[in-house]
Amino acid sequence: MKNVRIVMVGDVDAGKSTILGRLLVDLGLVTPAKLEELESSSAKRGVPIEYSFLLDAFQLERDQAITLDLTRIWVRTPDAEFVFVDAPGHRELIRNLLSGASEVDAAIMVVAADEGITLQTRRQALFLRWFGFANVLVAINKLDLAKDPQAAYEQRASEVRAFLEQLGMHARAIVPVAARSGDGIVKPGPLTAWWRGPTLLEALGTLERTDVRQDGPLRFVVQDVYRRDGKRLIAGRVESGTLERGEFLTFWPLQTGARVVTVHQWPREVERASAGSSVAVELDARVFVDRGAVGSRATDAPELGHVVQTTVVWLGRDPVGSGEALRMRLGTREIPVTLQKIEEMIDPDTLEPREAEELCSGDVGVVSLVSRELIAGDPHLSESSLGRFVLLRGGAIVAGGRIDAVLGHARGEGATNVVAMTSSVERVERTVRNGHAGGVFWLTGLPSAGKSTVAMAAQRMLFERGRQVYVLDGDTLRTSLNVDLGFSDEDRSENVRRTAAVAGVFADAGMIVICALISPFAADRELARSAYPNGFHEIYVSCDLVTAEGRDVKGHYGRARRGELAHFTGVSSPYEVPERPELIVDTATHRIEESAALLLEYIESHVRTR
Amino acid sequence: MSRLDYLDELEARTIFILREAFSCVSPLAMLWSIGKDSTALLWMVRKAFLGEVPFPVVLLDTGMEFEEVYAFRDRLVTQWNLPVANELCPPESSVDQTLPPAARHAARKTAGLRALLAREGYRGIILGIRRDEQAIRAKERIFSPRNADGSWDPRGQPPELWDYYAYDVPDGAHVRIHPLLHWTELDIWRYTLREQIPYVPLYLAKAGKRFRSLGESNITFPIASNADTLEKIIAELEVTREPERAGRAMDNESEDAFERLRTTGYM
Repeated sequence: MKNVRIVMVGDVDAGKSTILGRLLVDLGLVTPAKLEELESSSAKRGVPIEYSFLLDAFQLERDQAITLDLTRIWVRTPDAEFVFVDAPGHRELIRNLLSGASEVDAAIMVVAADEGITLQTRRQALFLRWFGFANVLVAINKLDLAKDPQAAYEQRASEVRAFLEQLGMHARAIVPVAARSGDGIVKPGPLTAWWRGPTLLEALGTLERTDVRQDGPLRFVVQDVYRRDGKRLIAGRVESGTLERGEFLTFWPLQTGARVVTVHQWPREVERASAGSSVAVELDARVFVDRGAVGSRATDAPELGHVVQTTVVWLGRDPVGSGEALRMRLGTREIPVTLQKIEEMIDPDTLEPREAEELCSGDVGVVSLVSRELIAGDPHLSESSLGRFVLLRGGAIVAGGRIDAVLGHARGEGATNVVAMTSSVERVERTVRNGHAGGVFWLTGLPSAGKSTVAMAAQRMLFERGRQVYVLDGDTLRTSLNVDLGFSDEDRSENVRRTAAVAGVFADAGMIVICALISPFAADRELARSAYPNGFHEIYVSCDLVTAEGRDVKGHYGRARRGELAHFTGVSSPYEVPERPELIVDTATHRIEESAALLLEYIESHVRTR
Repeated sequence: MSRLDYLDELEARTIFILREAFSCVSPLAMLWSIGKDSTALLWMVRKAFLGEVPFPVVLLDTGMEFEEVYAFRDRLVTQWNLPVANELCPPESSVDQTLPPAARHAARKTAGLRALLAREGYRGIILGIRRDEQAIRAKERIFSPRNADGSWDPRGQPPELWDYYAYDVPDGAHVRIHPLLHWTELDIWRYTLREQIPYVPLYLAKAGKRFRSLGESNITFPIASNADTLEKIIAELEVTREPERAGRAMDNESEDAFERLRTTGYM
């Protein structure tokens, strides 16, 4: 027997609850006792029998004859089980409508014949399209109020058709009903005697349950890691595709990988688990995997990037604008993001896009989100958990969104349609061969603080120990890669970006990269982190200005003081001390060898394989 | 295993919710009423955590449960090795006397739960309620925040999109977690039958009567039925129009009885 979940939308007075109440009564699903109770509740409030009271359970709902929150009604017919999600029509309760629409297979839009398509109905239809509904079932209700029911129906039906077409949706059927008298719900009545199409019940019979994606690429979303009898079991859900025992899984965004030894579905072990299954897998290697990771086949990975283009519905009480820091929950991972730009919002009146400075509650907009962490998303899997997300503000869910595109890097105008190739050599394979992981160790500090000296000393020691190591020195790079750059704030930022990108490539190739760069601005260093987000270490080479100036190895302080050098950090250009560096190396109070040993120890502890 | 059937799908979602709760809300406890729903839920807890029950399982005990219920509890605690705790509820004289008489018994459980929360500082409570049981429960969220005094604000519920839930709990407050919300009474019995989950024998008909819903012995009444096997219960439910909780006096004393119980913290 099929089981279909359906959401009801429509304006506050369109009669959604009445249609459902009527359906229950006319299908004989309401006991005589319940009907009596309904009559007495209705009489108590001085109204004729009010079918919506079957659904509206709260006192306030009955007193004001409105629905306040989502409710669910189970309707059993000989051929099917339906779960109706009845969502309130008021604007301020959009969060309830969205919550309801996110769990269903189909939608019914109720339009009152006397009111037609209201602004509220437009908004709700916009949400349905946003949720990915290509079609809806439409009921034109309250034909009992029309002088000529057929004419009223024809007029509203043609309005509905035009409106849906504008949205890129279509109506499965547009059914005339009069819920109060029951015409057209379960069987035709005098008001719908002219109608040759289906009753609402017959139209419901054509709806189907949507299946989770069996044929999509494998996505295994990790919820937790449990230890049982000395084994590490990675617990999570197969969001799409099929997970098979024995196959090699790559986990994103860390890009660690291992083979699946067993697939547990306690109390059994299984050979494979299909989309929708909750399982726990055991891997053949102790790679780092934790909550938030996504397992896939290496050749069929989610898209990776620091910027995502999205369509969101904003639900927060206070509006949102560009520059706001939020948290994104995608799959089971929480990622800090900044709203980079509201590209446009969809005007619910005209359904046309327009410019907007902010999004208010209930607005649908296209926004780009940027993160210093690498985002693994699936723009083409909008029904799976990696294609849709929520935004949080202070722990509360304030928006729902769908990923439209994952973009390369955080600097905006870059190549937006370039898809990174997946390497034929796994990161973990390089780690195994080298005996250590790659990483970026970013030394920042004043000129003459000792960055290059400490970097070179540490490099020597690491090399002697057989490590793959290289120093990227700011001054040296300015003679080649960055020869076109000067010392303006803009050029300094670009200098940092390019150096970080090169460092990221080296680290990805399995090397330990030590960067020695003044990199005076905190924002630039944060961007640098995004070049290798999970293996980037900010190291502050600390030295007070007096000591550094006293060293003045290159004579630059002297020239800057004499006014011969513009934009000199510490003298004529600011240096922003790191707020939370991963390590501080103080060269004012320690000798070079001590500082280098400290750095060496830190690097070794972070590239060591477990 | 090929594609999931309907019960597999319900079960997988419940396991997903349980694992989310365990990862994101701490400390956590589960209420076990020993009825068919929370016992089936307990079975799924064991599935989710590979045979273990990683949080305390609490019975809010009014001392008024049926003898068969206590016997079943003791048997299952041993058989499944459950970390069970018995929470004795305060006496009837300590609860709101303006409530109808049967509802006062339910209010004792609310008071017991409040005492438990205050003492143990739980931030999450897992409960086996379902939306199809009762019209007010039909409006619940899966992760449903409660205020510091345990009260529910049904008109200000957070959005719950897809499988994204709100885990944040302000100090002193807690979140109710409802992993069975999307199940129906029929689903539970079909699943209990399929998985061979133990249940209290009072659900089976004896001499033309059986309990469809189990509450305290003094305020719960059997229905007329000849269903003396799970298969017969399922067949009975496939055609019945009677509500599940018809035998629960506390629900039916006045129109707003259940709403009042729920907003002040009842399960």
